[in-house]
Amino acid sequence: MVDPRRPEGHRRGRVHRGGTVPARLDGHRRFQGEDRGHPNPFQFFPEVWKWENYAQILADPTFTRTLLWTLLGALLFTVLSLSVNSLAAYAFARLEFRFKKTLWVLVITTMFIPGMTILLTSFIVVTKLHMLDTLAVLVVPGAASAASVFFIRQFYLNIPSSLEEAAMLDGCGRIRIFFSLFLPLSKPPFVVMGITAFLAYWNSYVWPILTITSPDKYVLQQYLATFRSERNTELGLLMAGSTLAALPVVILFLIFQRQIIGNIKMAGLK
Amino acid sequence: MTTATARPERDARKRHARYQYRDSKVAYLLLLPVVILLGIFVIWPAVYAGYLSFQNWSFYKAPEFVGLDNFLAVLKDPLFWATIRRGFLFVLMTVPVMLVLAFFFASLVVAVSRRFATVLKVSIYIPTIISTVIASIVFVLIYDYSGGLLNWFLGYFGIDPIAWIGDPAWALLAVAVPAIWLGLGLTSLIMVAAMVDIPMEFYEAAAMEGAGWWQKTRYITIPQMKNVLLYLLITGFVAAIQQFELPLIMTGGGPLDSTTLPNLFIFNHFRNDINVGYSIAAALLLFVVLGTVSALVFKVLNSEKLVD
Repeated sequence: MVDPRRPEGHRRGRVHRGGTVPARLDGHRRFQGEDRGHPNPFQFFPEVWKWENYAQILADPTFTRTLLWTLLGALLFTVLSLSVNSLAAYAFARLEFRFKKTLWVLVITTMFIPGMTILLTSFIVVTKLHMLDTLAVLVVPGAASAASVFFIRQFYLNIPSSLEEAAMLDGCGRIRIFFSLFLPLSKPPFVVMGITAFLAYWNSYVWPILTITSPDKYVLQQYLATFRSERNTELGLLMAGSTLAALPVVILFLIFQRQIIGNIKMAGLK
Repeated sequence: MTTATARPERDARKRHARYQYRDSKVAYLLLLPVVILLGIFVIWPAVYAGYLSFQNWSFYKAPEFVGLDNFLAVLKDPLFWATIRRGFLFVLMTVPVMLVLAFFFASLVVAVSRRFATVLKVSIYIPTIISTVIASIVFVLIYDYSGGLLNWFLGYFGIDPIAWIGDPAWALLAVAVPAIWLGLGLTSLIMVAAMVDIPMEFYEAAAMEGAGWWQKTRYITIPQMKNVLLYLLITGFVAAIQQFELPLIMTGGGPLDSTTLPNLFIFNHFRNDINVGYSIAAALLLFVVLGTVSALVFKVLNSEKLVD
């Protein structure tokens, strides 16, 4: 039996205990009834190319707005994440300071806390901070990442210290060394961590459905998921939307794939 | 600088201390953003979760201290144990298959010409880019009872349609397939990177002694990749046992709980159960298991790199 599960379905009592069979049957019937005549799945090229799906979804202002909104958030998230994590990575890789070991252990420990364990309490925290239903709730909480700090630090550890010493003899301060020496050399780890952050934001689903309530602030995955429930007859539209949603990240990957593949090696695996 | 030769030790220490002090200010400034963000959005929620797990608490009433009651309730709940067992079953269904497939795929990439290898690498990586939401929707369509690709295909062999995600006997397997597909890309790429790192001389020497592909793989490739394979095994385990978006979107955990993995169990509890303490206790118990496994791996992999 098909189960065109709708995200809202979860609010209808204990779904996981099988309590929503009627709701599911209802969804099933609607799904089947209005979408009769499935295409022949093995016919790769459709008889009639329905570019209208693409035209229609591109003409839909909601889709365009959601796409741009998600793009804005993803870019902000990537930039914020790279900035804060690379600064910390530099400090841990190159500077000597009090409590270094303690702070390092503290930061690394956060890597081992599964998202699910703190899902609810994070939700309570952002509620108390009045961040619900804002761009900030999507961009800020996940920006600092111990994994990212660790990855960039591994890279900074490999930069020869003779470069740094030369700069210091010339009278450069630590911050200037970071900006004029380390930052220009940081392209490889930045590409890898930047794409990781961008993808994480672009594909995020659970955090947005918890924290974003107004439909005009939905992010892409959230928007696509509701598409399926509210107008589940329009499979063509949904697929066109999904394809268009995947397109930016595919292009991004094609542009940077050499750096990504080349740099997975230095992720501290060996 | 010139006095360094006169009384080197004390001077060095003095200079060292001065540098240490100077670095401290800058370092704290650089660390401030990460420490504040992690503190507010990770560490505090984790501490708070620990606190709430000892409370009988909901959004509607004041917390009440109940000691270990929540943990005991979780440990006594057969549903919790069933989801943990299912989590391990899901790991067994996905991780070995994914590792074997990725290994053969990586061998193929390394063996073919560079241009073709790029095409292969990009094509295997595409599923990694696609979001779980989209993948779930596509697979629901493939598994569709009356119009899906899979039943249509099986129909040619005279096999009756199967309700892949509607039948408890099949549903977990049906969720495992997209999980493997989504995880394959990154796993293969990491394996490719590791294989490229193995010195060619090993293979040349083996070829001179007349070793075939299987012997080279068995005696050179696999031993050389031991660390990476261990890493992939453990991260695969952690990722698979934490999987919940696929069943959330594809089946909602059903039918009859057959796809309720541990994280989905907790997630559904958060949404449906008034007693938040129970959900949090369950989440913390899961954290103890997963956190221990991850920390061990991290320790093994970075034993010599974590110098400080």
